[in-house]
Amino acid sequence: MRNPLMVGERVYLRALELEDGETLARYAAEESDTFMYRGRQPQSPIEFEIWLKDAYKANPPPYVEFAVCLRADDRLIGNMGIGDLDWVNRIGETGSYLGAAFRNSGLGTEAKHLLLEYGFERLHLHAIMSTVFEANTRSSAALAKQGYRPAGRLRWTDVKGGVYRDLLVFDLLREEWLAARDAWRATRAGADRGVALPR
Amino acid sequence: MRAIYLTGESVYLRAIIAADKETAGAWYAGPFPINAARAEEWLKEVHTDLWGSNKPRRYVIARVADDTPVGGVALALRDNRRGFLTFAMAPWLDEADHLRAEALRLLVPWARDDLELMTLTFAVAADETATIDAAEALGMERTARLRDFVARPDGRVDRFLYQALNAPWRVGDA
Repeated sequence: MRNPLMVGERVYLRALELEDGETLARYAAEESDTFMYRGRQPQSPIEFEIWLKDAYKANPPPYVEFAVCLRADDRLIGNMGIGDLDWVNRIGETGSYLGAAFRNSGLGTEAKHLLLEYGFERLHLHAIMSTVFEANTRSSAALAKQGYRPAGRLRWTDVKGGVYRDLLVFDLLREEWLAARDAWRATRAGADRGVALPR
Repeated sequence: MRAIYLTGESVYLRAIIAADKETAGAWYAGPFPINAARAEEWLKEVHTDLWGSNKPRRYVIARVADDTPVGGVALALRDNRRGFLTFAMAPWLDEADHLRAEALRLLVPWARDDLELMTLTFAVAADETATIDAAEALGMERTARLRDFVARPDGRVDRFLYQALNAPWRVGDA
């Protein structure tokens, strides 16, 4: 593992490095799903590199961003983080992205629990929120499994199919996350550990 | 410098001026101190988008009676369509909630009818009841409740998101 900060069974979280921009830009170019936002957009590795040059400068930071990597071969499979960190109220907002080939494998859920563990147990946040574009029902379902509760919606946020749609708002308290993590661990305990990782 | 369309009975809003560096504690967001030298630098950093809308527009909330700055507000725009208000009230005020409520009563009609924003959003703590009453009287909708999102000395309270929705938006005929 390279420079790990949070380590799970199959994935670990580390700081993003400048060269990770190439991989993240490739994942954006290979995006197969169209329902997550208004539309897909190519991203330049240069944009990622410029962002990453400053991403770890501030202390305390306004956000923390991680690379999600496979323990088996150190491959970068996505990124996730906690933004809008408010160190007085001890709150933040999670966001995540996984390359298309690595979805529906349970890897994202495992990484997300590592991120929430980092937020609640290392940063000692009291509450965390997340937002999902209304059309992205897959991410809404994933948040529910991780313990997040519906908190409301921001109306008319963006267009999909010619109609202004809402941004769904979720929130999560530590006790709710612990319960969701325990439930997830119980399912993992009975899971087949021999499932092949995406190539 | 007070904007005639953003002037109420007890407060008005105006663009920030260089002399405001001396009273940054009243309008600068956050609990940490800021001195005049840093405030001057910061004002130059954020006021670099005269014609555009890529940076939040920032205003001082001042008292009508004596022109004293009592707070600040930032209006961030996305697509020139959605607006997000962030208030910062002077920490020494006893009547911060009431003054913020009056500022909101000035800002919402302006954003809705003058700027013609499609949505205007702001967050308020559940115990800031004067501001909440003003938002609801203005027809804003409470669209989200974030549990325990605000820390207070005696515990935690929820944070509400309120939105003003500008329904008349439509595609014009050619």
